[in-house]
Amino acid sequence: MTTAARAEIVANVWKIVVREGDPVAAGDELAILESMKMEIPVTAPSTGHVVRICVEQGQIVQEGDVVVEIDPTVGA
Amino acid sequence: MTQLDLAALDASAHRSALTQRRRDRLARVEPRGARQHTARERVELLVDAGSFVEIGPLRTADGKGTGVLTGWGRVDGRHAVVIAHDAAVASGAIGAVFADAVQKAQQLAIDRGFPIVYLNDSGGARVPDGIFALHGCGGIFTLNVLAQRRVPQISVILGPCAGAAAYSPALTDWTIMVKGHGHMFLTGPDIVKAATGEDATADEIGGSQLHTVTSGVAHLEVEDEDAALAETRRLLSFLPSHVGAPMPVVAPVEPDPVAVESLPFVVPEKASVVFDMNRVLDGVLDAGERLELMPGHAPSVLTVLGRLDGRPVGIIANQPGARGGILDAKASVKAARFVEFCGRFGLPVLTFVDVPGFLPGTVEEGRGVITHGAKLLKAYIESPAPVLTVVVRKAYGGAYIAMGAKSLGADFQWAWSNAEIAVMGPGGAVTLLHRRALAAADDPVALRDELAAQYREEVARPYVAAESGIVDDVIVPEETRSRLSDALRMLCADPA
Repeated sequence: MTTAARAEIVANVWKIVVREGDPVAAGDELAILESMKMEIPVTAPSTGHVVRICVEQGQIVQEGDVVVEIDPTVGA
Repeated sequence: MTQLDLAALDASAHRSALTQRRRDRLARVEPRGARQHTARERVELLVDAGSFVEIGPLRTADGKGTGVLTGWGRVDGRHAVVIAHDAAVASGAIGAVFADAVQKAQQLAIDRGFPIVYLNDSGGARVPDGIFALHGCGGIFTLNVLAQRRVPQISVILGPCAGAAAYSPALTDWTIMVKGHGHMFLTGPDIVKAATGEDATADEIGGSQLHTVTSGVAHLEVEDEDAALAETRRLLSFLPSHVGAPMPVVAPVEPDPVAVESLPFVVPEKASVVFDMNRVLDGVLDAGERLELMPGHAPSVLTVLGRLDGRPVGIIANQPGARGGILDAKASVKAARFVEFCGRFGLPVLTFVDVPGFLPGTVEEGRGVITHGAKLLKAYIESPAPVLTVVVRKAYGGAYIAMGAKSLGADFQWAWSNAEIAVMGPGGAVTLLHRRALAAADDPVALRDELAAQYREEVARPYVAAESGIVDDVIVPEETRSRLSDALRMLCADPA
């Protein structure tokens, strides 16, 4: 069972901060989106490790799209 | 115990027998065992100890009671009318007698100028009462609307509420839902399945998560019944008893000195970097309790009840930490509703602005962002209460206007010295204004940055707005509290 870090707004993927396999704590910044000239952080919904990065830099994401999947069963 | 037995008892024995019967019944009402308290206990927990007086406790339909407790009590010493559905009587279904009892209590509150608290736990109209039940429900709605102009109304959702029990709250000011047990829907899962074939759980159709996050139908989600009643008391503590009544003013509490000292450093220098607007509120408002309404819904705008100088105020603020602090259809509806509410009861509206704009695009246009954004304009324009606006960072375009601009009737509008106020942000403006020069440049990126810096200085600086009188002054963050409280003291004073 993975948890998903989702885009909270339609945006351009500006920067991906983590790599697959990285350990993360809840609230850690995973990626930064760019929308309305604002840098909008995507943060980890739970502690665990990054299973999958679902987007590429420069890609457009819609509100609710999964950006990063976290496996919370393997603690950081 | 039969009705005959009850009648043979003296008054106090009669009352305790009735109480016991209601308690026994409640344990068997669906959802079984979910309720923490009987209707009477809920009322007692809401009001000051011993202050509740029930109206017509012996009134009955079919010998079982009306299905609703009505009466008055005091909350923090101030009178309030309480209407509590009694799920132990026919699942709290709204029959003709029930509806009549509710309307009498609503009318009492309107006549006397007391807030109304509705403790809802009812499956909706009582089917055997037919058209009489529907007629009664309509009467309750009518008094809900009449009461809007006179007294605060709070609905608390303590069980499965369908039909009229869900609609009446939508005509009141604030709705509090108990997580897991409170539900609001037109009709429950079985009828939904029969009507459209959709398979959905009660939580999916009308749970507190759905209504406090997605739909915005309810405004606070709490863990249990006790918390719901405590939140109701807290909400009332910020509100006057009726339109025109004195405000519940308390002793002023200076903000936390650490929050005040950090005020100049809360807003990041770079306009694109997000921050938590609550830190600005911490350094400006009175320390102590603040009550954020609708925290889960449209979080890019904050709607908060708080105090300044001991006086209750309504705070609207962009929250850059959520969706960049944008305005969209939902945020506009949320903010407009709050401004309208504050205006109706005379709560000054303090607006803190850091808004990148209205979110454009197909999704928002499809949601009717123009219509909903216009509601926010209208709410500010019509506000009879004082409106004070502080631009803490960006204020661009239509969103600048919609966030309580001077042109909408704000009494005063101030800007922090690093604020940017313009029709559009520097990047977009430069691209639009210097298209040809940029296309011809050897180094368009460098030229763009240079022109953007120039635009920022010459067009967007708050001094431009202050020189024209559109902004009343340019202030430093540490001055915000004293500026706001001086203005409120002047605006709320009776004219000599």
